[in-house]
Amino acid sequence: MRKIDGKKFMWDKAHYLTEAEAMEKMAQYEKEGFETQLVKEENKYLVYTRRVVTEIILEEGGQSL
Amino acid sequence: MKGSVLIIGAGPAGMRASAELLNQGFKVILVEEKPTIGGKMAQIDKMFPSNECSTCTILPRMLELTSNPNVTIVPFAEVKSIDGEARDFKVKVVKNPRYVDPMKCTACTDCFPVCPVGGLPMEFNFGRGASKAIYFYSPFPPRKALINPEKCTYILEGKCGDKEIPPCVEACKPEAIVFDQKSLEVEFNVGAVILATGMDEMKTESLERFGYEKSHNVLTALEYERLLSGLGPTGGVIKRDDKKEPQSVAWYVLNNPSSLGLMTAVAEAMGTIERNPDASVSIFYEDMDLARDDYVDYYQTAKDSKINFIKTECISIAEGKDGNIDISYDKESFNAEMFVLVPPYAPNESTLKLAENVGLELDEWGFFSKKTEDSHPLHTRKEGIFVCGSAQEPKGIDDAVIQACSAASHAAALLAPSRGKELVAPPKKDILPVTPGDEPATLAVICRCGLNIAGLLDMEEVIEYTKSLPHVKHVELTPFGCDGVAIKELLKTKEFNRLVLGACSPKTHENLFFLHTEMGGLNPYLLEIVNLRNQCTWVHSTDKQKATEKAKTLMRMGTNRATLLEPLENIHVPVTPACLVLGGTPSGISCALKLGQAGLNVYLVDKEEDLGKAKENKNRIVEKMIDELDKKKNVKIYTEAKVGRVEGFVGNFRAEIIKSRGKENIDIGSVVVATSVDMRAESDEGDFEKDLLLQRDNKNFFVGMLGILNPLDFNTDGVFKCGSARKVMGIPDAIIDGEGAASRVAGVISKEELVKSPTISVVVDEKCDGCAYCIDPCPAQALTLIEYMQKGSVKKTVEVNDAICRGCGVCMATCPKEGIFVRHFKPKYFEEMINAVAGSV
Repeated sequence: MRKIDGKKFMWDKAHYLTEAEAMEKMAQYEKEGFETQLVKEENKYLVYTRRVVTEIILEEGGQSL
Repeated sequence: MKGSVLIIGAGPAGMRASAELLNQGFKVILVEEKPTIGGKMAQIDKMFPSNECSTCTILPRMLELTSNPNVTIVPFAEVKSIDGEARDFKVKVVKNPRYVDPMKCTACTDCFPVCPVGGLPMEFNFGRGASKAIYFYSPFPPRKALINPEKCTYILEGKCGDKEIPPCVEACKPEAIVFDQKSLEVEFNVGAVILATGMDEMKTESLERFGYEKSHNVLTALEYERLLSGLGPTGGVIKRDDKKEPQSVAWYVLNNPSSLGLMTAVAEAMGTIERNPDASVSIFYEDMDLARDDYVDYYQTAKDSKINFIKTECISIAEGKDGNIDISYDKESFNAEMFVLVPPYAPNESTLKLAENVGLELDEWGFFSKKTEDSHPLHTRKEGIFVCGSAQEPKGIDDAVIQACSAASHAAALLAPSRGKELVAPPKKDILPVTPGDEPATLAVICRCGLNIAGLLDMEEVIEYTKSLPHVKHVELTPFGCDGVAIKELLKTKEFNRLVLGACSPKTHENLFFLHTEMGGLNPYLLEIVNLRNQCTWVHSTDKQKATEKAKTLMRMGTNRATLLEPLENIHVPVTPACLVLGGTPSGISCALKLGQAGLNVYLVDKEEDLGKAKENKNRIVEKMIDELDKKKNVKIYTEAKVGRVEGFVGNFRAEIIKSRGKENIDIGSVVVATSVDMRAESDEGDFEKDLLLQRDNKNFFVGMLGILNPLDFNTDGVFKCGSARKVMGIPDAIIDGEGAASRVAGVISKEELVKSPTISVVVDEKCDGCAYCIDPCPAQALTLIEYMQKGSVKKTVEVNDAICRGCGVCMATCPKEGIFVRHFKPKYFEEMINAVAGSV
């Protein structure tokens, strides 16, 4: 998890060896409505994503106050 | 130009004006004629109409003030003169001798038992309770002893006891007693002055007609408050001087022009019923003019609580042999075991002298409300000297607080170029590095709290037991932990990485103890407060042995939890230095103008074609304000406009302004709602009320934060309300409301960043599966459900907005997977505490 510009982004758990490879993945994610961030760590590229859920459907069985 | 403000009077208004100015970057000199601060609010039990405990409310505010390096509190002193002019006043203050050096006195009380002069009536309790010739004036800060020169044998006769050295001097280890202390004149240079001298009961000879000062069982309302107070001479139990607990009590509200007298009687009668539900309680009054809706509600609650209200124009009394008071009225009678008179209110005794010293006129009643040329209620005839609270005219605490905020905004506007220039930087912190997993080395400090703790526990047993607990390296007994002396001295040795403090309630003292811990060089989140007073000695005062056992268990729980604590750092939130004011009402205009005068950026939005609607009221002050507002370059006025969507949080809001020709987004740090009551926000283009979590009551007014000291605050941080958005009020009050809101706003947007407690929620992403049960219950709406990609799948988790999370723990309670917790309150901390209790069974 990383906070970038105050927003929480989660790592997709993949190591991309080139920037182009990472950018291609980011474009895929963005098509699906995710915000993305690219982080270079040592010689690898990491992709972070997030997408705000606007309609929340609760599963049954949760605790209530 | 000077960036300091002199405030005269340390009651609720003076204290609030001080806090507001400190929060806006000004230094404060707070002069109080009594030896301790708090004013009348410190003497009463509960406040009307909210029925909040006065002591619990004011004490934390007192402690915040006394520990702020940018306020100089000068108690037991009077202002002799104020010369010069606005922005550059020279003030002479005379400090009365207390014969004890307050810098040396540690409040240990070792001098009290050795003083041979006892049984002296206590002024703070209006003669009830007894003190020695060396004593504390009240239980409130600054807690420093003083000597009564009219009773001290050594001062009167030059000798006390058999020895050459008086016993108090011999007992005083810090050598704080100074018998040759004289009055001391000190001089301050300030830019503005606020008069907040408050009010008092008018004790005229007419009270004697009703038995006052003739019968022990006839008291004034303020005297009765001391019997209701848990810190009073009877510990909150209503007793006559003959120790009898009265079964019938009557109040007589004498000729009060306002509703304050009746409300006072109602609060006290309700307090009496709370303590003794079978008591017969009656309130006699001549006239009832309940000026406020919440006063009407309070009165109705009292009526529902079996309190009798008797309207009568004439009563007479006679004292029986049993000390009871026979009250005759309208051919009927009532037998009261205690009779409480609620006199009209008068200015404080010292007001006239102060007015002479300062060169100001008083009105016919003796208050500082002489009309000025500009007709502003808080202005005096001297520029730069403002008045607020009951020094202006009698009023309730919430109204006094609003005026205090308003007066602070006047002083801040006057001294705007000097904002922050005289502030003392906080002392450099030398904090012991502690990492989770370090071997705990615990310091336990146990506070005697006078006799509040030490008098009701076997202290030796508690100390010895605490010494035996795991990781406890040292146990120290201190007279008053709140003075911070022992805490700081011991922590500065750097031998301890945890602090367990057996003392009072974190609710009132946590901030102060955090400060002492940090000044001692330990991260404050490595402190654990064990509430030995409120949760042990006060509730088990009749069983010393069991109370001692409970104290040992509480100390064990505290030390167990302390071993797990981790250091935390405050959260810093940047602030956009601008404010959105909604509504071109008199309060909206006064708010915008005061912020503009203070050099802060303002956007004022009104639905009308121009601000003329307010002008239609033909009020000279409003007309003048509109003219001045038009000239302010830092105030942008949007007419024929409304606010659409608003998003963000304190310090960082973004609002959409919908104009006749298009839309515009503005960034602001704070929002003020000053709309008229009939203005609704909801439309197809947004609903700022919903966006900002604002609520209205059944009369369509906005509902604010609970608490009598928060009349202008919403529950949403950084959003404030004033004027007709709050309740029905006349134009002068609406103007003051708006200026008060300006002070609240300036406390946010005059800073570059806000500092926030780190005790907020943290998501454990490994455990959170995004079930979202926590989202809706969050009262601050600080949680957002987000999706993310991981190993080719869409996963869910929760995002916490650090700026608005309040760390209330509701999310933690709803989460079925331990996927979210509040820092400093991890589930395992509670497990350790429960284990500590289970171990004792």
